[in-house]
Amino acid sequence: MEKTVFIRLRNRVQVHPNADVCIGDIAQMIINDPELIEKLKKIRIYQIKASDKNIVIIDMMKVVEAILDFDSSLDIQTIGPAQTIIEVVYKKRNLTNLYFALIWLLLFIGSALAIMNFHEDVSMQKVHQRLYTIITGEKADKPLLFQIPYSIGLGIGMILFFNHVFRKRINEEPSPLEVEMFNYQQAIDQYVIVNENKESMRRIHDD
Amino acid sequence: MTIDVILTIMIGLAGGLAVGSGFVAFIVVLGVIPRLTQLTKTMKWIHAYEWAVVSGALTGGWISLRDTVLSLSKYLLIPLGLFSGVFIGMLAAALTEVLNVWPILAKRIGVAEKIVILLMAIAFGKVFGSLFHWIYFVNH
Repeated sequence: MEKTVFIRLRNRVQVHPNADVCIGDIAQMIINDPELIEKLKKIRIYQIKASDKNIVIIDMMKVVEAILDFDSSLDIQTIGPAQTIIEVVYKKRNLTNLYFALIWLLLFIGSALAIMNFHEDVSMQKVHQRLYTIITGEKADKPLLFQIPYSIGLGIGMILFFNHVFRKRINEEPSPLEVEMFNYQQAIDQYVIVNENKESMRRIHDD
Repeated sequence: MTIDVILTIMIGLAGGLAVGSGFVAFIVVLGVIPRLTQLTKTMKWIHAYEWAVVSGALTGGWISLRDTVLSLSKYLLIPLGLFSGVFIGMLAAALTEVLNVWPILAKRIGVAEKIVILLMAIAFGKVFGSLFHWIYFVNH
């Protein structure tokens, strides 16, 4: 009886520079033969070179080809993504604390200035004075009784929106920030899948 | 005379319609209400929230156009201030979100783990900037 191999590529795999990439690293496989599966997992599929920079795409076609080279009588059933993104992880560039402090300060001052510009832009002071008069019937040049809770509320609102109080989460759901980062990563993956994979596009070469 | 009145009513109604739908579109695009229902798990009340926004806009509009004076205690302003601050804070947060600042920042400078601390920089910056504005800046 012909043996069936079910194979599913992983979405994203991290490897060290100059690593040998085997099928077992980038895919899950199911066959009813434990000896064969070990052999298949050890098939070398790619050797990372320095010229690859940090992204390599391995297409399902290449994996199927390698398996058929090993044993052409196998019946291969592919499931899931059609390619794996291999990320070559070089030594992590460590962000110095000074650099980080500078960014922190930049964001702090920038957002402080932005909120002041916003207040001026929409005449917030006048609105607050007016509101003070509406509620109490008195006039106030600086309705601080309204404005100080307002300022604290600004911070609370931002934190509420992002669902984070420092490290602690308010509930289990991903915050919009995490969803946004995920979407961004997906868009980048989609781009590299098409653009780093030589087989995915064919152009007319006319000189 | 009659034509004048009808015309004025028409213009007023048309203007209100345009501003009202613009306001709703703005709130919807920023997604503050879904975010709040998601945080508090109160999806079933979503229609009540719609009415809260509509009646709030209506009350605010009416009060700001008329010279209403309620003559209430001035301490009522404290919760009012806090609530409006939270609302504006959420709008501001939603706005940075739309502009896609965070994913790019995290990717470019590789600070994905420390992003919460940077978020705090923005939140504290807003609080500080706002307090500075009201307490000091408006006098000069």
